[in-house]
Amino acid sequence: MSTETAGQAVKLGYTNVKVMLDGVPGWKKAGNYVVASDNFVKKGNIVLVDLRPTKEYEAGHIPRAYNVPIDKLSEAEDDFPTSKAAPIVLYGNGDDAKKAYKIVKGWGNKKGAIAGVDFAAWQKAGNPVETGATPEEIVWKRILGKNEISIAEFEKIAAGSDDKLILDVRTKDEAAEGKFANARHIPLDDLQEQMESLPKDKEIVVHCSTGARAEMASTELRNAGFASRFLVANVECDGPECEITE
Amino acid sequence: MNDTILKRLLPLACGAAFFVAGCGQYNLVQAGDAAAPAVKADAQKQENVLKGKIVGKSNKAKTISIEVGKGDAAKTVMVKFDDNTKGIEHAVEENAAIIEFTGAGKNRLATVIKPKLAKLPQGTSEMKTDELAALMNSGKKYVLVDSRPAGRFHEGTIAGSINIPVPDMKKNGAALLPKDKDIQLVFYCGGPT
Repeated sequence: MSTETAGQAVKLGYTNVKVMLDGVPGWKKAGNYVVASDNFVKKGNIVLVDLRPTKEYEAGHIPRAYNVPIDKLSEAEDDFPTSKAAPIVLYGNGDDAKKAYKIVKGWGNKKGAIAGVDFAAWQKAGNPVETGATPEEIVWKRILGKNEISIAEFEKIAAGSDDKLILDVRTKDEAAEGKFANARHIPLDDLQEQMESLPKDKEIVVHCSTGARAEMASTELRNAGFASRFLVANVECDGPECEITE
Repeated sequence: MNDTILKRLLPLACGAAFFVAGCGQYNLVQAGDAAAPAVKADAQKQENVLKGKIVGKSNKAKTISIEVGKGDAAKTVMVKFDDNTKGIEHAVEENAAIIEFTGAGKNRLATVIKPKLAKLPQGTSEMKTDELAALMNSGKKYVLVDSRPAGRFHEGTIAGSINIPVPDMKKNGAALLPKDKDIQLVFYCGGPT
């Protein structure tokens, strides 16, 4: 993509054009940070974190921000969403956001970013400001991706459904420990071979233990003309008792 | 970092002929379909190749899924891998890769996985991440262009970048880029695709 735009720039007469082929993933891997836009800070489905001391936070902060002072951040890991895809956007004083970014990356978070503004710049630009204490709990809800099913809807189907079928694509060993009582089990490996045994008149809702294999299987099913969605969640079963966590 | 560069350059050096032959978006060179007897493929020692973006990898099921083709023709193909598969470290989600495999249908087994190297357009050269970091600290003039879709740009971009996704560049590039044609431009996107 960047090679395409760079090529266009050359055609337009630019003489000094370079392409960073490693892109954003390479940039992050090399230990550098990325910056979220003001618009994303305002409207994105994010966990916004104000790293300043609580006093400063309470006197005024960016709306929706949670206060986690920088020196408390490491120990607050468990207060953050378990999903590694939660965009955690950080702002604070001085270099604190950059330091915090490294900590958040260390948790395995994939979508962390530094806010493009600090609080002073935010306020100066005439943006809205909130005052008062931080909410007790950090709350973040995933917005479902294309063809994903919510945990709530999945649980309803697991409790009993006539028009939907749960397909478990974990390995035989995993399924031997337990599975949803009303699920069909076909390991991902065997799916192509056994696909014809699945009903075309029911939506097939696929799960595995995290969501990676479920997505692959669901894509295969849709390609083959089945109606299918998949669950991105951790599934752990003990006999017919299965626990689903985000 | 340097290791990665070496690893990425090596296949280019060794496989130049291969790259010249396969500049298309993807080639699925495969005789017969899933129904064709595997014996036939074996007998011909057919070398099959998939090129595209890795969209999934399951270590538990030892399966990689790769998206090949573009637009309406895009489809996801599953390939198994085992302990003998070479270059499994290149099967990274979101990265472009070239997978050589044997077998067909459900029995596709990856033999070699290589990173797909982007071709630099004429008149451009590559900038490594550390060179960009140095440029950003140098005080020199430059314009950084994030070529990814706007949503990705807003989520997190390299500080100071402007956002010109591919369609905007095609439509309106001249107006979106700086007036100075000799300024250092650096384009980047979501990785080597």
